[in-house]
Amino acid sequence: MSLLISYDSSFDGFLSAVFEIYRQRLDVGDFLPERPYDAEASSTFDLFLQPFHVETVAESARRLRRAIVNMAGADVLDLLETAFRSEERGVEMKIFVYLRKLFAGDEPGFNRNPTSKEMLPLFLLARAVRHESGGMLGMVRFNKAPDGMYVAEIEPKYDILEMIVGHFRGRFPTGRWAIVDVMRCYGVFYDGKHTEYLEFADPDTISRTIAENAPPDEFTRMWKSYYDTMAIKERLNPRLLRRCLPVRYWKHLPERQQNLAGPANRSTNSLASRPA
Amino acid sequence: MRQICCDLRQKHELGCSIWKGAFFTRKYLHICALNIILVLKKASEQMDLKTKLNILGDAAKYDVSCSSSGSSRGAPKGGLGSGCSAGICHTWSADGRCISLLKVLFSNACKYDCAYCVNRRSNDVPRATFTPKELIDLTLEFYRRNYIEGLFLSSAVVGSPDATMEKLVYVAKELRTVHRFGGYIHLKAIPGASPRLLYEAGLYADRSSVNIEIPSDRALQYLAPEKNFKSIYSPMNFLAERKLEYHADRRMRSAPKFLPAGQSTQMIVGASGESDLQILRLSAGLYHKQQMKRVYFSGYVPVNADKRLPALTTKPPLLREHRLYQADWLMRFYNFGHEEILDESNPNLDPDLDPKAMWALRHPEFFPIDLQTADYEMILRVPGIGVKSAQLIVSGRRYCTIRMEQLKKMGVVLKRAKYFIYNPDIPANLRRLYPEMVRPMLIARPKPAQLDFFGQLDTPALPAPAIQALSAPAQLRPAG
Repeated sequence: MSLLISYDSSFDGFLSAVFEIYRQRLDVGDFLPERPYDAEASSTFDLFLQPFHVETVAESARRLRRAIVNMAGADVLDLLETAFRSEERGVEMKIFVYLRKLFAGDEPGFNRNPTSKEMLPLFLLARAVRHESGGMLGMVRFNKAPDGMYVAEIEPKYDILEMIVGHFRGRFPTGRWAIVDVMRCYGVFYDGKHTEYLEFADPDTISRTIAENAPPDEFTRMWKSYYDTMAIKERLNPRLLRRCLPVRYWKHLPERQQNLAGPANRSTNSLASRPA
Repeated sequence: MRQICCDLRQKHELGCSIWKGAFFTRKYLHICALNIILVLKKASEQMDLKTKLNILGDAAKYDVSCSSSGSSRGAPKGGLGSGCSAGICHTWSADGRCISLLKVLFSNACKYDCAYCVNRRSNDVPRATFTPKELIDLTLEFYRRNYIEGLFLSSAVVGSPDATMEKLVYVAKELRTVHRFGGYIHLKAIPGASPRLLYEAGLYADRSSVNIEIPSDRALQYLAPEKNFKSIYSPMNFLAERKLEYHADRRMRSAPKFLPAGQSTQMIVGASGESDLQILRLSAGLYHKQQMKRVYFSGYVPVNADKRLPALTTKPPLLREHRLYQADWLMRFYNFGHEEILDESNPNLDPDLDPKAMWALRHPEFFPIDLQTADYEMILRVPGIGVKSAQLIVSGRRYCTIRMEQLKKMGVVLKRAKYFIYNPDIPANLRRLYPEMVRPMLIARPKPAQLDFFGQLDTPALPAPAIQALSAPAQLRPAG
């Protein structure tokens, strides 16, 4: 009977699992990440697979990382990690299949071929993750708290918070700010010198706390009204808007909120958000 | 606001008559002056920052340029803001255009009277002017909230070009030196401004732009009597030359840069009668000679009733603008020359087909190509294959044969590409077709639309019975 390997949902955890698979010659059916915010998906089990838990071991993860770098190079390891961030169902199995073929070593040039059957899906997935993390650099919206701290909520499709932190550290090196991934219940806090990752218990409580402590202010309303004036009425194009700025991001963008607007601007907005 | 201005004018006239009469005491004059100052103060207070921002943002929205790319820089010590060389879009407005910079005019009280412009002096629109402090605070506050990537500052010409340019440069300088702002700054170069000010603008701004607006000199002078090509090209050339000069002299890596993101310009499409060939030729010249980073096209949106321009009810030529951008992309990323895309015999782009497919159909001698052996430049020329897919094909084909399934996954549009490539998985008869036979297959068919129940049909399915009824008595008449 094949195994359903559960791990702690981190990349190191996944690498430890792969390490164990090789060490104990396990027969893998599928992987199961144990995500605290996604308890429902974590508790489902396949009737035909036997559950098997692997603990994260930093040492084995490190050894496997080194092996991948030696076999394929640092950029492939980076690509695998980026694809892993997509948290897509079945991505672990795709990475595992790739690694198995890589370590088997029976196809020359396999590590350098981005169009192989095993690599292409990972390549495209990594591209999608990088695309979102690049787009998110512009779509984080900070609200100012009375104590001078800037707080932002994000809800990206992929787990990209760690990929964007460096950009904001470089951009606002002297300020105090925090970015919270509401869906995944963790956030990063920067105090002017160091970043610190914090985990939260419940998404609703965080959202409420942020809304109470850092509500939209006069500048948010000015931004919203500026945004509304920028659209040229003769060129309104709701389909293009949706393609460039998918609806799933609107929730945390003040300029796409209805309730921030004054009565004069509402008509434009309702026209723009009418389904195509 | 208008009320106050009237008030002010009355007071001013009163003051003048007082001055002329000269039989009031000096003390009274003093009170008059105080009054005028008070009224002025009231006027500026009355228009709050939000209103100003709306007026001046609204006046700037017809400027297309929004890019924040081409400049890479870390935050200055003790300041904030960085430059990202790829550029970052922050949001998209309801018309689908990206907003990455706070795009505003410093003032919209223009002394010129260009036919196509919403801010011309003969238009009755609310006028406003920022104070430098207001604008700087606004930029910094928006920037800290990550609403914007920087500032795009333009202005109507107030007083003289020099006076206007000085204001723009002052704002940029203040942001860079006092507030240690490292974000993106795009400054408009005002035609007619002195070289000293233009040079200073280049030291603080990332990008500068002068808009051509009308793509031929004759039409420009007709529509904008105060402007001509020379007045537009001279600041452009000046900045391009200074950039070359400055960077040749620059020894230290840490030395500040001169216009690191170069220049851009914009032309209005559809306001005057230029052909697409003329427009592309002009933009190709701007890319090569003036070292432009971008040339933008802006489909003419009628804002003024003017007998020299298309009627107010004209729809903006969005499709034509889109095709021009496609051609522009071919020139910038696909190694196409403008003379390859269009020539004297076909001076306009095809509204039904993209320019790349148009080129491919005119040149059947190059196709079909074998993806396994063709040059990268040639793969780029296949309709349906873009830069990313072409790179993937080139890096992958060394290790394996590229199959149709992989092409599909890469994102190649096989619907178009299948007529132009040789691939074992694609039926051979497709690549033996004549261009005239391929053309209708490349054109997207219009989607069948549900008929409107009460609407009129353009072409009636049956001959109207009324015609028969009318013709019958006519035949009868001679008999009767």
